[in-house]
Amino acid sequence: MSDAFVQTTQLTKRYGSRTAVNQINLELNKQDIYGFLGPNGAGKTTTIRMLLGLIRPTSGSIRMFGKSFPKSRMDVLKKVGSLVESPSYYGHLNACENLETIRRIIDVPAARIDEVLSIVGLTKDAKRVVKGYSLGMRQRLGIAAALLGSPELLILDEPTNGLDPAGILEMRELIKSLPDQYGITVLVSSHLLSEIEQMANRVGIIQHGSILFQDSLEMLQRQAKHHIRLAVSDPRQAAHTISTWGIHAAQHEDLLTISYVPNEQVALIVQQLVQNGHSIYRIVDQRQSLEEIFLSLTGKERS
Amino acid sequence: MLLKALSADWLKLRRTWIGWLVLLGPIGVIGLQSVNYGLRYHYLMKKYEADLWGNLILNVQYLAAPAMLLGITLLASLISGIEHREQSWKQVLALPISRLTVFTSKFTMIQFLLFVACTLLSGGTLLLGGVLGFGMDIPWGMLLLKCYFPWLAAMPIIALQSWLSITNRNQAVPITIGILVSIVSMYAAQMPDWMPLKWPLLVNESHIPIYSVITGLSTGLVIYSLSLVHFARKDVD
Ligand SMILES: Nc1ncnc2c1ncn2[C@@H]1O[C@H](COP(=O)(O)OP(=O)(O)OP(=O)(O)O)[C@@H](O)[C@H]1O
Ligand SMILES: [Mg+2]
Repeated sequence: MSDAFVQTTQLTKRYGSRTAVNQINLELNKQDIYGFLGPNGAGKTTTIRMLLGLIRPTSGSIRMFGKSFPKSRMDVLKKVGSLVESPSYYGHLNACENLETIRRIIDVPAARIDEVLSIVGLTKDAKRVVKGYSLGMRQRLGIAAALLGSPELLILDEPTNGLDPAGILEMRELIKSLPDQYGITVLVSSHLLSEIEQMANRVGIIQHGSILFQDSLEMLQRQAKHHIRLAVSDPRQAAHTISTWGIHAAQHEDLLTISYVPNEQVALIVQQLVQNGHSIYRIVDQRQSLEEIFLSLTGKERS
Repeated sequence: MLLKALSADWLKLRRTWIGWLVLLGPIGVIGLQSVNYGLRYHYLMKKYEADLWGNLILNVQYLAAPAMLLGITLLASLISGIEHREQSWKQVLALPISRLTVFTSKFTMIQFLLFVACTLLSGGTLLLGGVLGFGMDIPWGMLLLKCYFPWLAAMPIIALQSWLSITNRNQAVPITIGILVSIVSMYAAQMPDWMPLKWPLLVNESHIPIYSVITGLSTGLVIYSLSLVHFARKDVD
C-alpha cells in the first residue's frame, strides 16, 4: 500500500443499475487542499458520504491515515471533521448548545467551543437560537462543528453554497489558512473551478462518477492550450494563404485562430501575409482558461 | 459511550415540547378521572364501596392504556424529529461513536421519558385518591403493578415505533401507524392472547399479569435487536 494520507481504491457505489461513483482512486497527501471538482450529479457527495461511513461502498476500499476504513471506523472518524451538503444543526438550540451536543460525544475541553466559534466569527451570536440564523451563519456554524474535534482531515462538501461574495472570500481565506496554521488536510468539493483554483493545490475532476483528471493545480494549468489570434483585413483569403503552408487557421468573423506555433513561425506568417497584401491589425496570444479546460474535460459547451 | 450519547440527547430536549408531553399525558388521564369522580361522586362512592382504591386504579388504567400508546408514538416521533428536521443524522453518524450507541441512546431516552410518565401517573393516582378521601389503606403493590407493568408489556410497540420513527424521514408513516394502533387497542381486551396490543392490559387466560410483561419484554427485545441490525447497516442521506 502506498502511504497517501487518504486513498480510495476502485471505490464504487451503485444505486440499482445507476452507477453514482465508478472505480475512483482518490489520493490526498498530508496538508493538501484537495479540490474535488465536478458538475451537479457527478458523484461528489456520494464519494464524501462513503469517506465518512454514511453509506457503504458497493465495491472498492478506503484507507485513511494508514488505516482501513470502515474497519477502523472509530479511530479514523476521531480525526475527521465534516460538513456534508447543507449544514446540520438543531434550530431550537443556540450555537453553544449545538456545539455542546457534539462536544459531549467527542470529549474535547469546553473551551474548544469558544475557540471554534471565534475562528468562524460567531462569538457575538453564540447565545442566539440557530433557527434565527442566516444561511451564511448556519454554514459557519457547520464549519465550527467540523473543526470542534481538532481534526486532521476536514471534508467540506460545497462549503460556499449560499454564501454572499464576502462570505465566500472569508470561507476561502479560512480554508487556505488551515494547512499552515493547524496542519489540517482539506478535501473541499465544488462545481466551480474558479473557486477551487483559488485555494486548492491538488485537483480531482469527477464526472458521471468517474475521475477525469487528478493531479496538481499546476499540471492542470499546464494543460491549457495556447492559441494565436490574428485580426486581418481579409480573413477568408488569409486563412487560405496560411493553410497552403500546412497550418490550419479557424476563421471566426474577422479573427483567425491558429494553434500555438513558435516565434519564428509567427514572424514568417506575418511576413508572408503582409507580402500578400493583407493588413494585420492585431496579433493576440491567447491562453485557454482553466474554465475552458474544465468544460472541455467534462464535455460541456460554454453557453 | 452510551452515557455521553445520552447526555448529548438530553441537551437536545431543551426548549422542545417533549417535557410538556410527558407531563401532560398523566395530567390528562388523572384530570379526566377527577372529572368522572367529581360529577358522579356519590354514585361511584357507593358502587365502589368495597374497594375504593382498587377501582380508582382500574379506572385510571382504563384511560391510561390508549393514552400511553399515543404517547409512545408522539415521543418516538418527536425524539427522532430532532435529528430528521435539519438532516442531523449525517452529522451525528459521522462522529466517532457507533451506530448501535446512537440508536440505543434514542431508545433509552424514550424509555426513560415513559418511565417518568408512569411515575407521574402513579403519583397522580395517589393524589386523586387522597383528595377524594379514600384513606391511607393504599394497595401499593397493585398501584405500582398497574402503573409500570403496562409500560414493560408495551415493549414491542415501543421498539416498533422507535424503529419506524428513527429510520423514516417522513414521520407520517409512524404517526399514522401509531394512531391506528392506539384506536385498535381500545378493543384489545376482546383479542386473543397472542396479540401484542393486548399485553399492556395485563389480561390473559392464566390471569397472571407477569406473563404479559415477560412476553412483551422478550418480543420487544427481538424487535429492538432487529432494528439495531437494520440501523447499523443503513445508508444515511
Ligand atoms: N440515494 C440515492 N439513490 C439513488 N441515486 C442516488 C442517490 N444518491 C445519489 N444518487 C445519484 O448519484 C449521482 C451522484 O449524486 P451526488 O449527490 O453524489 O452528486 P454531486 O456531485 O454531489 O452533485 P451536486 O453538485 O448536485 O451536489 C446522481 O446521479 C444521483 O442521482
Ligand atoms: Mg453534492
